Amino acid sequence: MSSRFTPAQLAVALLIAAFLVLFLIVPVLTVVYVAFADGTGGFTLSHFASFFHISLMRESFRNSLYVAFWSVVFASLIAVPLAYFTARFEFRGAALIQTLGVLPLIMPPFVGAVAMQLIFGRSGTVNLLLGEWFGFTLPIMDGLNGVIFVEALHYFPFILMNLVVALNNIDSSMEESAQNLGSSGFRLFRRIVFPLAMPGFIAGAALVFIKVFDDLGTPLVLNQTNMLAPQAYLRITTIGIEDPIGYVASVIMVAFSLFALWASTWVMRDKEYATLQRGYGGLAKRRLGRGQSVLAYAWILLVLAIVLAPHLGILLLSIAKVWSFSVVPDSYTLEHYATVFQDSPRMIWNTVFYCGVAALIDVVIATAIAYILLRTRIPGRQALDFTVTMALAIPGVVLAIGYLRTFRDIEIPFTGELLTTSWALLIIAYAVRRLPYALRSCVAALQQMHVSLEEAAENLGATKGRTIRRIVVPLMAGGIAAGLIVSFMTAAVELSATLMLVTAQHDAPMSYGIYLYMQSAAGRGPGAALGVLAVLIVAAGTYASHRVIARRGTREAQGGIAKVQEIQTAGA
Amino acid sequence: MEALRKVKVEVRNVSLAYGATKVLHDVSVTIEPGEFFALLGPSGSGKSTLLRLIAGFNQAQSGQILIGGEDLSRVPPWKRDIGMVFQNYALWPHMSVAENVAFGLEERRLPRDVVRARVAAALELVGLKDYAERRPGQLSGGQQQRVALARTIAIEPKVLLLDEPLSNLDAKLRVHMRAELLSLQRKLGITTIFVTHDQEEALSISDRVAVLDHGVIQQIGTPMELYDHPANRFIADFVGTINLIRGRVEPNGDRARFESPLLGRIELRVPVTGAADAEIAIRPHALVLAAADHPGDAGRVWVEGVVAEREFLGEFVRYTVKVGDAELIADAPHFIGGASRPPGARVKIGIDPAQVKLLS
Repeated sequence: MSSRFTPAQLAVALLIAAFLVLFLIVPVLTVVYVAFADGTGGFTLSHFASFFHISLMRESFRNSLYVAFWSVVFASLIAVPLAYFTARFEFRGAALIQTLGVLPLIMPPFVGAVAMQLIFGRSGTVNLLLGEWFGFTLPIMDGLNGVIFVEALHYFPFILMNLVVALNNIDSSMEESAQNLGSSGFRLFRRIVFPLAMPGFIAGAALVFIKVFDDLGTPLVLNQTNMLAPQAYLRITTIGIEDPIGYVASVIMVAFSLFALWASTWVMRDKEYATLQRGYGGLAKRRLGRGQSVLAYAWILLVLAIVLAPHLGILLLSIAKVWSFSVVPDSYTLEHYATVFQDSPRMIWNTVFYCGVAALIDVVIATAIAYILLRTRIPGRQALDFTVTMALAIPGVVLAIGYLRTFRDIEIPFTGELLTTSWALLIIAYAVRRLPYALRSCVAALQQMHVSLEEAAENLGATKGRTIRRIVVPLMAGGIAAGLIVSFMTAAVELSATLMLVTAQHDAPMSYGIYLYMQSAAGRGPGAALGVLAVLIVAAGTYASHRVIARRGTREAQGGIAKVQEIQTAGA
Repeated sequence: MEALRKVKVEVRNVSLAYGATKVLHDVSVTIEPGEFFALLGPSGSGKSTLLRLIAGFNQAQSGQILIGGEDLSRVPPWKRDIGMVFQNYALWPHMSVAENVAFGLEERRLPRDVVRARVAAALELVGLKDYAERRPGQLSGGQQQRVALARTIAIEPKVLLLDEPLSNLDAKLRVHMRAELLSLQRKLGITTIFVTHDQEEALSISDRVAVLDHGVIQQIGTPMELYDHPANRFIADFVGTINLIRGRVEPNGDRARFESPLLGRIELRVPVTGAADAEIAIRPHALVLAAADHPGDAGRVWVEGVVAEREFLGEFVRYTVKVGDAELIADAPHFIGGASRPPGARVKIGIDPAQVKLLS
């Protein structure tokens, strides 16, 4: 590049840095500060001491670690075979499986939790059938088991998607040379394929650990409040914003999430990614033998059945008149939907509006950071990337506590409204929490773009700004759209920050509404109906963006077809 | 398309380093208006860096670059009017062929009909006028390169830069495109600089060549000058195939006497100032290969050896001949029914002192 950076680029970088400092760094540091500060501003460990003196807190700490660990184990057991089968073998419906695997992500885990109790609970569908036919029941949803089960089912797609990408990125020559040297079957997988895909697995597993540690809604709905996130939430909401124990719990959560994030990169240090060379194929897809086919399909169908159970359960619940102590509901009705449409159109609008704006903020910032990171030499540009990535490790509860503490008494200019009671803060919280996803997506898109495409534009007379508009952004469109979808999707199901930051009913998004409904047995029907609507909205948004990407894609695809035809006619 | 104004390019004492790594060291070269000029060197020699410097994508720590007498050091790439064809062509996949070619004209805010006319003319020139609505992905490698070329010359640049233009093409197409590039350049008359690591490519089409190694220009000259009078050991070795023989040189009247264990004594028709260790170079085809019982003649120095390897290259056969502890490469022209000497055969090699080049 001709120069290190332009003034405009620097200005954008500074603006983004200011945003991150104000809405991420300062709030988190405030939480840390309160956890370590005595009343006079000095340093103290007494809050930590009193935290560990409370037996409930010690138990919560242990439970959170226990749940996070086993969730990662079970999520891996589901994801690894799915990823391997679909990425590696010729398989009917592989794309469908990978798409269905993403489904759990678009339904809030706590919504699923209610359905899971109805299906897998002590008196749920499965145990009723088991008890009737075989005379025993499984304690799948009892206590922490339930949390682990729900979390593993909800978050395994993180491992699945990362692993599939990693597997698809393995150059076929890597595997072929191993086969050429005599390796095959499971040994080939264990010695070559899995190690090469390891970065994907580790990244996914770390993410699952962090998300489970951070999840507030699921334990609350399953009434397992003896975990860290619920305790932090309960302390702050019941005792008050001044209670230091909530801050200590927050700091512990941040510390463990950061540790997981750091460990995942530490494990992979010095390990080289096997990336695909342009023009070379990924792993060759093989055919399964007959027996293998049956086994693979059986496993996949079983997993899919369990994965889809909460969705089916929620759908049933939303149209059930009564459903308790029975395999399926006794009678059906649509009145829950009527209730929801009467009660909460405002919430539906709020969700679309908040998450849409947050996702837009995310892709704009993410595109800018990706460009600054990869195409300029602004000093400290890595710090932007690093800070955004750190946001992954900040639980929603912690960020919300930080916001409430940092911005208390601060008014929005000209309106006189308190920032902490405004929906604007909720949008900012969503944007900050989802920024890492958008950033990864945009960075990947820009990384794939050869810099000579931009140099060619400059060489032909386009300034940096024009080049960004005419070349960079259009070519990044796929990555930007993907970032937009993921940010929107995951923000729509966000509950932990939502629960703490929503102060007025009419400002609440759907996730909050679903949670409120689910609190009472009578509200479960409408809650489920609202859940179904949330899934539909997210799915519609996803489909729309997919269409946009696909339209760009088909042109390339048509190009490919035209080329094939050209070759065929030339041959004839 | 009409002939373009011919412009002179001057690179004056340019040095460039990335941290402690010196990429270009005090490089000076003048490229005459309308010249087809090659920058030749192994990878990492700094040749691409020099090209990118001229295009404005790198910044030199010192020195000047003058295009048509004007110092461009402070001018950003988009104001330079220097067309560059990238090694990977850098065609934008989200634009059609015509949109790609129109880009630079649109950036110059030319009226729409002018843009359309010049796009058509440029595509016509490279023989792709029927491909205007295709996407780059639908074209073959050779066609993509023509589009890249059309896109660059459409803006009627002052200078044309080609970065390894032929490296992504297959061998047959490479030879074809090389002739086409040359004829296009002659037609437009545009000063053209191209970077290559392939000495055959550089020698075959350029008016002059600058050979770079480790960021330093080793020699500038016409292809024949480089081949016949390599300035140093690097050039001798890099340009073409050559035999290098170590020995000692001392003055002998107005000539030189070169003495080596391999060849004994030979008289060279060049003056030297004093005795010194030296090296002589001789091309394989300048060696005469004969049967072991060949009587020899007075004009040549003859040595005996044994064929170690034989490579059949069509026009000639390349023999590696073991002479004492050393090996000499000798090319013998091949004709139908001509002699072929198998490995192990005893042979004689005749060396004409007039074909020997003393390296400094």
